[in-house]
Amino acid sequence: MRGFLKDVLKDESGFVELRYHKKEGRNFVAEKGRIENSTTRKRTGVGVRVLHQGTWGFASSGEISKESIKNAIQVAKKNAELTASVRLEKINTLPPGNFAKGDFIGESIKEVLSKSIEEKINLVLDTSSKILSSSPKLQNVTCGYAEIYEEKAIVTTDGADSFFSLIRPEFRISAVASENGNLQTGSESVGVTGGWDCLFNKSPLEYGELASKTAIDLLNSKFPNGGKTTVILAPSIVGLLVHEAIGHTVEADFVQSGSVAAGKIGAKVGSDLVTLCDSGHSEFTSGAGGSIPVDDEGILTQNTVIIENGILKSYLHNRESAQKFGVSPTGSARSWEYSDVPLIRMRNTYMKPGNSTLDEMIAATDDGYLLEGPRNGQADSNGEFMFGVQKAYKIRNGKIAEMVKGVTLSGIAFDVMNEVDMVSKEFKWDLGSGYCGKGQPAKVDAGGPYIRTRAILGGVKD
Amino acid sequence: MNFKELSIKENTIKQLVTDEINKAKKNGIDQVEIFCSYSNSNEISLEKNDINTSSFAEETMYGVRVIADKCQGFVATNDSTTLYDSILEAKSIALSQGTPDVAMTLPSAGAINDVAGLYDLAIDEITPEKLLAIVTDTLESKKDNFPKVNIDSGDFAISKSFKLVANSLGVSASEKEGALYASYMGMAVDGDKVGSFDYDSAYGREINQFKLNLAESFNEFLENCMRSLEAIQIEGFKGKIIIPPRAIQGFLLGDLISSLTAPMIRKGKSKFVGKINQPIVSELISLNDNPLIPNYLSSTSFDREGQPTRNINVIENGILQNYFYNTFEANKAGIAMSSGSALGGASSTPSCGPRQLQLNSGNTSLKEIMNSEAILLNRFSGSTDNTSGDFSGVVKGGFLLKNNEKIPVKEIQIAGNIYQSLNEISAVSKETKLIHSSSLMPWVVIENIDITGI
Repeated sequence: MRGFLKDVLKDESGFVELRYHKKEGRNFVAEKGRIENSTTRKRTGVGVRVLHQGTWGFASSGEISKESIKNAIQVAKKNAELTASVRLEKINTLPPGNFAKGDFIGESIKEVLSKSIEEKINLVLDTSSKILSSSPKLQNVTCGYAEIYEEKAIVTTDGADSFFSLIRPEFRISAVASENGNLQTGSESVGVTGGWDCLFNKSPLEYGELASKTAIDLLNSKFPNGGKTTVILAPSIVGLLVHEAIGHTVEADFVQSGSVAAGKIGAKVGSDLVTLCDSGHSEFTSGAGGSIPVDDEGILTQNTVIIENGILKSYLHNRESAQKFGVSPTGSARSWEYSDVPLIRMRNTYMKPGNSTLDEMIAATDDGYLLEGPRNGQADSNGEFMFGVQKAYKIRNGKIAEMVKGVTLSGIAFDVMNEVDMVSKEFKWDLGSGYCGKGQPAKVDAGGPYIRTRAILGGVKD
Repeated sequence: MNFKELSIKENTIKQLVTDEINKAKKNGIDQVEIFCSYSNSNEISLEKNDINTSSFAEETMYGVRVIADKCQGFVATNDSTTLYDSILEAKSIALSQGTPDVAMTLPSAGAINDVAGLYDLAIDEITPEKLLAIVTDTLESKKDNFPKVNIDSGDFAISKSFKLVANSLGVSASEKEGALYASYMGMAVDGDKVGSFDYDSAYGREINQFKLNLAESFNEFLENCMRSLEAIQIEGFKGKIIIPPRAIQGFLLGDLISSLTAPMIRKGKSKFVGKINQPIVSELISLNDNPLIPNYLSSTSFDREGQPTRNINVIENGILQNYFYNTFEANKAGIAMSSGSALGGASSTPSCGPRQLQLNSGNTSLKEIMNSEAILLNRFSGSTDNTSGDFSGVVKGGFLLKNNEKIPVKEIQIAGNIYQSLNEISAVSKETKLIHSSSLMPWVVIENIDITGI
């Protein structure tokens, strides 16, 4: 494919970027002993971006032929010409990047793709049936397996020339428990870049047992009292915090629009215990769900240190923003499918582990909560964030006590970072089944250690 | 592409789809359906108060559904040259399941009546240059009147599209649409002070409708951004909240509607199993789903399975009237035919749900509602569980209404159970507002909400 794209580009002048993207997804869902959904989705094409007359033009083609891609290049140039005269800040040049060269073939692709449809169907059917029959309180159990296989080739007139492929399997299970008209849900999910060994660190049944236990335990739980409190956040919640509340504010496009991180490079934004990174690779342990060897501008991805010991060090950049800030691109340009324009996105975002253990952190907390398993999360331009929490446990006198329900956590991200006073040794990637939304989806992961800080817990009024 | 060219494209693809279905039938595949969506759009995106990228996109997606041995297989593809291969693959997926269900069948054809105003020929006069002029005027007006608001991102587009669905049992339907749309996201920045972000959108079937909608929604968006700069923290209390039209569907009705879909009922995941003709919410609530209103953005004459859509009475004076069914769910429930509520597109199998909800107005004036002491919600950013109804989250861009003052507030959370709250509605406004050019919604007041502040 690289050779074909280079041949298409050989007579082009100016900056032209061709991105071939083949994407195939499969999805199997079982519920109550029946396959509810069994689908395959295939989408292939070439995205064409030009930098022409100081601005961007874009077009795409679902047909992979020299003629159709050449035509898309002309359409993209015409599009750029349309807006060139009214764009206020012209882009005169792009900085040289650390271009990836050659082929980068992902691990475990053959292993996952060679498993039969029947094997994947049996996985979800067996798991959902076994978990459903494990307790009379369970009303329903839904089990799903999905995989995305991708190939990308990125070739530009200024030297990018790479191909990569990868596979991302996911497994999810949710249970509904019922008692006296009260219904509660528990769910577990995992998603990785890699094979089934990596996906199933726990067995499918173990994930199911955790989900059903959560649903059953929530039946008799109550809302917590709301207000500012001490919280120990599990790696999944830490991941959500560093992704939603910090990561988005340091995407250079958002920074230029005036996010709360604008102008704060070199400033103290967290406690000394806080070091936060975003990497294209799976640091510490394998399989992080947002891993990519090359970004969609053809730049080799790197591990970008965003906050080091509490000091803001870097934003996340594409080539355009790197030029503006006078730094190197960080390999953060990503697009969801061939017809999407690359945007600055996170990959695998994490906080570095520290020196405490979780047990020490709980023992050192007289009054607080342990929060695990996000339901959802959003953050704001001013750093204000809100996360829904699935499993929240009261901590009393250094010991885990009852579970509470309907918990949300909110606060101002940098304030919460400044109040981090304990960080655990344990580390986990725990958002690999998640998707980030920014006009278009992106597969990301996030994680970290357990951390202790203070934030506002949503709940009821005494 | 104008209407005539779009029609030619539509007929070409219709022929291709018909040929492939006939070929499948000849080869013994007796239940096959192809849903096709075609769209082309000229789009201008914004970033940092400036034009970013101008783009053109055109694509045809095909969703191929085969039912074999009473199981369903599905393949979506954007490659028309492999359409028959996709039929064979969908059949193979169906045969590999081993969980047959007699209810799994394709529907036969029903009488479909066109909905007026989905493609206004005047849209063919809107060139990319004219769209650009609207974009530059919009950016100029912001610069002049709201210099502290930064547009982080946005899109303006002209879109022409059609969808068609055909199956081996005689269903054949297609519909063309044209629309202009815009969306914008941003926040106000004043020195070190950064406001909460806000977003909004505007739509129109033709340029005058679009410009009117754009002027109103863009101005509201800019004002919301500015107000959030002045937001203060307040102490918590238990009291009432006012849900404005833009937040009704997302906050008030989202979980309820999900719980009224036939799959949730069939699987026992809904509180409303067996509640037809019983009160489930306040008697102030009357709700219907009407996809047949001319010119509305989500109007359509047929659903994902090619079945005729209709105006469905969902709740009348608090009494539940209907669930939402597609063909499979109707068969499972023993109902003669679907309610025309199959949702989805070429990339997915048919699900169930409403297309265009309309919440009836009430008897209380908006002035009276705004005179009460309450939190006025703008957006709800939070966690909801449609099974239990538990919700908890942050009020975004909200106000404390007190002593005839409207005070912007921040960092306040609300928590409760939405099904309980739907029974604690104390007022619905006489006034309504058209949201997203598709849903008329009033203002609604809910009592006894736990509000957490500082």
